[in-house]
Order: sequence, then structure tokens, then C-alpha cells
Amino acid sequence: MDPSEVEFLAEKETVKIIPNFSLDKIYLIGGDLGPFNPGLPVDVPVWLALNLKQRQKCRIVPPAWMDVEKLEEMRELERKENAFTPAPSPYYMELTKLLLNYASDNIPKADEIRTLVKDLWDTRIAKLRLSADKFISQLEAHAKLDNLTLMEINTIRAFLLDSLNCMYKLRSNLLPGSSKGQFTDY
Amino acid sequence: MDTQSYLPVQPGVGMQENFLSLDDILLSHERLPIRTECAFPRLGYLEKATDAQDIPQGLYERKRRVLSVELPKVYREGWRTVFNADPNVVDLHKMGPYYYGLGSQMLHFDSPENPEIAQTLLQTFIGRFRRNMDSSQNAYNEDTSALVERLDCLEKFLFTSGQSGLNGFQSWEKGRASQLTASSLVLNYRKRKMADVPP
Repeated sequence: MDPSEVEFLAEKETVKIIPNFSLDKIYLIGGDLGPFNPGLPVDVPVWLALNLKQRQKCRIVPPAWMDVEKLEEMRELERKENAFTPAPSPYYMELTKLLLNYASDNIPKADEIRTLVKDLWDTRIAKLRLSADKFISQLEAHAKLDNLTLMEINTIRAFLLDSLNCMYKLRSNLLPGSSKGQFTDY
Repeated sequence: MDTQSYLPVQPGVGMQENFLSLDDILLSHERLPIRTECAFPRLGYLEKATDAQDIPQGLYERKRRVLSVELPKVYREGWRTVFNADPNVVDLHKMGPYYYGLGSQMLHFDSPENPEIAQTLLQTFIGRFRRNMDSSQNAYNEDTSALVERLDCLEKFLFTSGQSGLNGFQSWEKGRASQLTASSLVLNYRKRKMADVPP
């Protein structure tokens, strides 16, 4: 999976905007988008919010978790715990990148937020690597990790699956009944 | 989004090798010292008993009952203790670039040390896993030849897949994923560019 595909899936999340135009309720295949009245907040998917913002038709309200104190608390909690804490949002990396690129004027302390999210990401990725290493070195057959986001899974997926394949090949050497080597037919 | 038009045949699982896999073909060309158990009449090169000759391992496969093979020194007791002590310091590329593959193939040859060889292969892989994972996932946009030169072919393959994950993520984060860039194949054609054509 590409990071761009993960970003595409992230754009389905809802975010609050304050439009400066008015429009009746629109009926899309994915669902209804409520009537737009200037000055009144309304929930829309991120893809629409970014589009409207680029056309200067709305103002984006940062999500509740995109706040310096909250992110600092989450970062400290993540550093203390050995397991994964629930992420601010299942798509926190993508939303941070998109919102801070297109709507940084609507978000207070954008640079600090970027740094904090990056710290959070680094801590989680380090934990992920540690647990992958433990998984492999103890030759476990089954592992369960809670609270991982799709982007984190995506960056490690190719490497982890390939190494597990290699390990499987090497482990099958240990089996006493393994076949003596036949040439497979193509 | 990232499908290839050419899918290479993977090396075989464990003790099998895939006939069409390039990696398996190359590794079966590693030479092995052998001893012949009986006389081969009229074959000038191979003489009886104590001569130690080298023949390619793939050729050996078919002559199993008349020859006995000696393990290359990398798989013997001495090196095995080195690997068990600390797998990370060994230069696996120098030990034969196909350490893991050849080791798996050696298990065909019914040596009494087979279980230990198999165990050592596995433990070496596990011991080096951490270092390989960290280096492949953290080395972005730098010259990785110093990291890669000590890796066996299998580990090089893992290294490239780790790097591709990392590069994908980093280029997405920089926003390069949504910009059109010329494919490297097209750049290699070295065609004239619009800017260079005189109006």
C-alpha cells in the first residue's frame, strides 16, 4: 500500500468548518452534507474541507486533539508506557500534514504542533521496531498490537512480512520431515 | 499502485530450491570440496578417495551416492561458535554471498551436524535482524554502501524492501507523492527537453 492511499482513506474523516457561503443540504452517494450557512459550524469530510479552503470559501476549525497541551500530554504518556497508547486519531499523521499544509493560518501554534506530532510518531515507530524485534528473536508465532494506526503499519509492513518469510524458510530447515529437494514444475 | 511488470521468481523454501530462481541458480554455482568414494573409470579429472576436488554444488546433486562432500569452513564448528557468540560482527558477504541459501542446500547432504547447522543459520539471522532493521529503516538519502557491504544476499533483499518503505513514507511527507516526476526510465533515454529545443 502506498502512503498516498492511506492519505486518501484519511480524507474521509470529518472535520468542522465555518463556511462563508450558503447552500442547501446536498445529497451525495457517501452521505448527506448538511445545509451550509455563513458563520455556522458544520461537519464535513476532510477532502471537502480542503477543497473549500483552497477556494477560500471556509475556515477550518482544528480538531479537538490538535492542541499543544493535549499533544504534550499524549507524548509524555506515550514515552512512559511500554504498550501503545490510543493515538489522537486513527489518522493523526495524515490529518496533521494535510491541515497544517493547507490551513495553517487557522491553526494556532502550527509549528509546535508539527514538532509534537513528529515526536509522537518517532516514539511509536521506535516501540513498533522494538516489539517486532522481540517477536522475531523469541520466535513467536502470534502477536497482537493494539492502537496502531494504518500509516505506522504501512511503513513496516513490507520489511516485516519479507523477514517473516525468510525466517519461515530457515525454520523449515529444522523440521525433520522436510523433503529432500524436488524440482518444482513450472 | 506499485505493481511491477516483471515479478522475479523467489528462491525456494528451506531445503528446496526453485529451478527458475536467479538467486538459487547463482548459489548453486558455489564450489564445494568433495571426495569421491569409488573410482570413475575414464574420467580424467576425478580420481579415487582422498583427492579433494571442487565441483559446483548443483552438479553434485545428482551424484549423491558416489561422492561425499566436506562442509565449507563457514558452516563448520569453528565458525559456528563465532556466529553463536556475536552474529553482528561477521562480514557475511565475504563468507560467501549466499550464506543462508547455501547453508539450506548443505542440509541435503546428511551430515551428522545438520541440526546444528540449521540452528546456527536461524540464530544468525535472528541476531542480525535488529541491526538490519534499524539500518534499513533509518538510512534516508545517504550512501548506504558501507551498511550493505557486510550483508548476505538475503539480507540485502530485506534491506531494499525496508528502504522502499522508508522512502515511500518520506517522499509522501515531503509532498512529492502528489507531484508528477519523470520516471527514471524515461530520464535514461536522454531525450531532448522542451526547454532545449530552439523556438
